[in-house]
Amino acid sequence: MLIVSGPVGEEGHARDGHPERPARIGAAMGGIADLHLGEELRLVAARPAEPDQLLRVHELSYLNELAMFCSAGGGDLDPDTYAVTDSWSTALDAAGAGLGAIGELRQCREGVAFVVTRPPGHHALRDRAMGFCLLNNIAVTAAALTDEGERVLIVDWDVHHGNGTQSIFWDDPDVLYVSTHQWPAFPGTGRAAEIGGDDAPDRTVNIPLPPDATGDVLLRAMELIASPVVERFEPTWVLVSAGFDAHRADPLADLALSSGDFADLARMVAGWVPRPGRLALFLEGGYDLEALRTSVAATLSALLGGPYRAEAPTSGGPGMEVVDGVLVKRATALAAARRSPREGSPR
Amino acid sequence: MSPIRTIAVGIDGSPDAEAALRWAAGLARSLGARLVVVHAAGLLEHAGGGAGPSGLEGTARRLTAEEGLGADRVEWYRSDGDPCTVLLRSTEPPVAADVLVVGSRGRGKHAGLLLGSTSLQLAEHASVPVVIVPTGERAAE
Repeated sequence: MLIVSGPVGEEGHARDGHPERPARIGAAMGGIADLHLGEELRLVAARPAEPDQLLRVHELSYLNELAMFCSAGGGDLDPDTYAVTDSWSTALDAAGAGLGAIGELRQCREGVAFVVTRPPGHHALRDRAMGFCLLNNIAVTAAALTDEGERVLIVDWDVHHGNGTQSIFWDDPDVLYVSTHQWPAFPGTGRAAEIGGDDAPDRTVNIPLPPDATGDVLLRAMELIASPVVERFEPTWVLVSAGFDAHRADPLADLALSSGDFADLARMVAGWVPRPGRLALFLEGGYDLEALRTSVAATLSALLGGPYRAEAPTSGGPGMEVVDGVLVKRATALAAARRSPREGSPR
Repeated sequence: MSPIRTIAVGIDGSPDAEAALRWAAGLARSLGARLVVVHAAGLLEHAGGGAGPSGLEGTARRLTAEEGLGADRVEWYRSDGDPCTVLLRSTEPPVAADVLVVGSRGRGKHAGLLLGSTSLQLAEHASVPVVIVPTGERAAE
């Protein structure tokens, strides 16, 4: 069963010519429609996140200021990120949608949830909008789960490092953050040596990959670097920052994945889910509409066991040597962390 | 007070950033310091969208020359990230700035709000002094 929470952002939060646009939601929903799930598809309307749910991951001053900024008509928050009058209500719905998905999964005790919302969230910091993101949607859900004593694995396969999510949970031992991303690229964080704060060493796993890296490299890196850490962590929930901008057709980055690679990646992540009904995917990036549609379809089909024919997986790109390098850098950083606690979160 | 050997100035194509660049160039000239012109490349710049002002490096070199700062003392540093993150990082090697200089408003147009204000966030988080050059300020003659 596929539980879709949303869609959120089909209108309202928009700016002419900006790649983070409402049509992305139509593309993602199109990918779902391509699966012809019939009664195996359940739609859950998103409800706005409540203040106490947002305050687990964002500062009150930031929330107040963002709300006022939007009500005054909005504008540029940075060279990449905009807000308009409707952005606040859209962002609240996007931030609350994951909570609805979790509630539905708990009720069903089976299936997979896909949170189809925009604006995306994984760049949003506690006190700052950034990289098209206003509120950190996946963090709101993860924090709600850890508040209930759950241990949450966040896998972030968006092509850009989720600096906001990493920063929010930097010192939280109940959240394991695993990211694959292009390097170098925006936002400039996500080095292999970033392994978590003093209270959560080994709870951050960064796998930076060079431009043109293919699916075989990414899967190998996940298997050798992330899998052992995930096994030690023993998550009770798995959330995915499912950006699809690592697809080779995406205009905002340079990795070379196909929709078939996302399917393989989804199967690997599904193997980390402790029991049925504990997996939720959150839409992050993905700016080529056709690639977004086919990648969504391939990913969900892989998780649901459907017959959808994805593009062939890719191989032969650069970056296989990165795997050993990441392992060495992580080991060095962990040893240093044990010798002397470090200060602060990488910004 | 430690000597100021390296000054980093943020540039994003806005008039305020140009004023900050001129001011920083004047400061670098008077102190005999090195000036690093820092540009943060955002998501839209990768896509060739509207946020990537073209010719920024050339503009920076022209303005610093107009302020009488020798080309050998001016460096260009472009890094992926948002302006605040990149400028904070420029206090670490390889830039290792001793002071940061920014305009009071960048390409975001809402002065007076903490939200999105690079200058105010730098002032809160930076480990080195931050100079915020007011709108319309020119380098000292």
